[in-house]
Amino acid sequence: MRFRVSSMKVEASAGSQNMPPLLKVENLVKCYARRSLVGRGEELLALNGVSFTVFPGTTLAVVGESGSGKSTLASCLACLESPTAGNIWFEGKDIVKVEERVRRQLRPQIQLIFQDPASSLNPRWSVLEILLEPLILRRKFTREEMKQCASSLLERVGLSPDFVERPPTELSGGQRQRLAIARALALQPKLLILDEALSALDCSVQAQIANLLRELQSSLGMTYLFITHDLAMAVYLADEIAVMSRGRIVELGSAEQILDQPQHETTRQLLRALPRMTRALPAPEQ
Amino acid sequence: MRVRRTFAKWLVVLGVLHGMVVCAGFFAPYDPVEQDRQSPYLPPMRLHLLDAHGHLHVRPFVYALRLRESSFDQFEEDTTEPHPVKFFLRGARYRLLGFLPLRMHFFGGENTRIYLLGTDAYGRDQFSRLLFGGQVSLFAGLLGAGVTLFIGWSIGAVAGYYGGWRDSLLMRVAELFLALPWLYLLFALRAFLPLAVSPLEAFFLITAVLGAVGWARPARLVRGVVLSAKERDFVRAARGFGASNGYLLRRHILPETSSVLLTQAAILIPQYVLAEMTLSFLGLGVPEPVPSWGNLLSGLQQYSVLVSYWWMYLPALAMVPFFLGYLGLASSFEERGAVYKIESRIWGM
Repeated sequence: MRFRVSSMKVEASAGSQNMPPLLKVENLVKCYARRSLVGRGEELLALNGVSFTVFPGTTLAVVGESGSGKSTLASCLACLESPTAGNIWFEGKDIVKVEERVRRQLRPQIQLIFQDPASSLNPRWSVLEILLEPLILRRKFTREEMKQCASSLLERVGLSPDFVERPPTELSGGQRQRLAIARALALQPKLLILDEALSALDCSVQAQIANLLRELQSSLGMTYLFITHDLAMAVYLADEIAVMSRGRIVELGSAEQILDQPQHETTRQLLRALPRMTRALPAPEQ
Repeated sequence: MRVRRTFAKWLVVLGVLHGMVVCAGFFAPYDPVEQDRQSPYLPPMRLHLLDAHGHLHVRPFVYALRLRESSFDQFEEDTTEPHPVKFFLRGARYRLLGFLPLRMHFFGGENTRIYLLGTDAYGRDQFSRLLFGGQVSLFAGLLGAGVTLFIGWSIGAVAGYYGGWRDSLLMRVAELFLALPWLYLLFALRAFLPLAVSPLEAFFLITAVLGAVGWARPARLVRGVVLSAKERDFVRAARGFGASNGYLLRRHILPETSSVLLTQAAILIPQYVLAEMTLSFLGLGVPEPVPSWGNLLSGLQQYSVLVSYWWMYLPALAMVPFFLGYLGLASSFEERGAVYKIESRIWGM
C-alpha cells in the first residue's frame, strides 16, 4: 500500500534545521503589466525581490496586509504563475527554469489550499469525486486502491465517510476546508501552501483546523507555508514568520523574535491590530 | 419550486406539440400533398355534438359542406346527414418516423372528408399540411440551432480559455458576423444558387446557412462563462494536480456553460424556425408541394386570399403556442439560472 497516507514516512521531525532546505526562494520578482489604451501603460510590481528558505517539517508564516503580494507568492510557488525573475529551488531543483516535463512531476509535491473552500471545490461534484480527482489525474491507481485511499484520507482529516455521495454545498465551512486539505494530501505533497486557508472560517473552526494542521505536521512531517494576515494565528502555527509589505519581505525571524522585538513599522502595525483581552479571566473555581 | 413547475409546464406543452408534429402521419387525417380538386378553399368544418333536431350525440360529428345557392364561394352545412368522426381508422399510407409503414390514423370521416382547418387552393387539407409542415420547419430550426450552438460553443471555449491573439481574432470575426444583416445575406446566397433545387437540397442549404450565420452571440456568451470559470479556485487546484487543458475544459469549465447553452437553444430554435418560415414564405425555402410552415402561409401573399379566406390564417395561429412554449422555456431557464446563482451564493457562502 505504497500510496496509503497512514503509511507515509515521517521524514523529519519538526524544527530540524540541519537538513538541506526543502524550499529556497531567491530574489523572486513578479511584475504585472497593466496595458492601457494610450501610451505604454504602467507596471505593477507584485513581488519585488523576495527571498527566504523553508526547512522540511517546519512552518513559515507569511504575514502582511492585503495587496502586499502574499497570494502572488503562493501562485508562483504552486507553478500557477511564472515569476518575472528569480529562482525557486524545491529540493535542489529550480522549478522556474526546469523543463515542463520535470515540472509536471514536481508540481503535485507542492499543494495549495485556498481561502474560500466554497470555490475551491466544484459544487457540481460529489465529495468522493473531489477527493479522488488528484488520484484519477495521476492514472496510477486501481479502483480498489482509490477507494481505500479516500477512506483513509477522510479519516485523517476527521470527516465522516457518510459524506462521500453528497455535494460539497451540503458541508459546513470547516468540513469543506477539511475536504480541501484531504484532497491536497492525496498526492502526498511535501509542501502545503495555505493561502489564507483559515480566514474564511469562524473562530472556533479556525482553531480546529489549525490543530488539525499541527497534528498532520507531527504525524506526516508536513512542511507548511502559511499565508495569512492574522498575526496571532501565525504565531500559533509557525516556527518562523516573514512580514511582507509592498512586494518585499521587510522582516524575517522566529515567532518569538517578531513578537518581542518588532523592527519594522508594518510589523508593529500588525501587532497593534491584534485584539487584546483587557481584563484577566476569572480564576477557575476550585 | 414555482420556477420548477412553470418549467415543467412549458416542457409538457412543447413535448405534446413536438410529439404531434413528429407523428404527423398518425395525427393528420390525410396525405399533405393529396389534392381534392372538387373542394378548393373549403372553410373549416365545425365539430358538433348537438344535431339540427336537438339530439345529443355521444360521438362528435361534422356536416358536409355544400355551396350556398346563387353563390360561388359561400358554403353552408348540409344538415340532413351527420357524419360522425371515427377514431383509429385506416386511411392514406404513411411512414411513421420515416420508416414504419402504417395506414392507421387518429381520426377521420368515413363518407366525407373532415377538414378541421379548411383546405387551400388545391383542396389540400390544411390541418395535415400544418402537421407535416411542422416536420420540415421544426427540424430546420433544431438542426440549425444545433449547428450554431456547436460552432459558437467551440469558438467561445477556445477564445475564452486560450485567450491572447486567438481571443482577439475570434471575437473580431464574431463582431463582424453580428454586424451582418443576415436576412439579406440569406437572400443573396439563395439568389446566387440555382432556382430549382430539390426540397431536400433546399432544406439542408437553409439549415447550413442559418447554422453558420448565428454563431457569434452564443460564442460571446460562452466565452464570458469560460473566462470566469477558468479563474475559479477549483480549476486552479486541478491545475496544481497536473491536469491538462483538455481535462480542465471537459470536466470543470464546459459543464459551467450548460445553462447558457440551454437558454440559447430555447431562444435560437424558434428564431430559426421563423427564419425558415420567412424564406419559404418568400418562395426561397423548401419548394412546393412539400409543406413547410412558411409556404403554408405563402398563399396569403395574394390579396384575394387575404380578404376572402380567413381560415388561411389559422396555421399561423396554431404556431403561436409553439413559439410561446419556447419563450416560456427560455425565461424559466433564465430564472432557474438566477435561482441557482442565488442559492449557491447563500449556501455556498
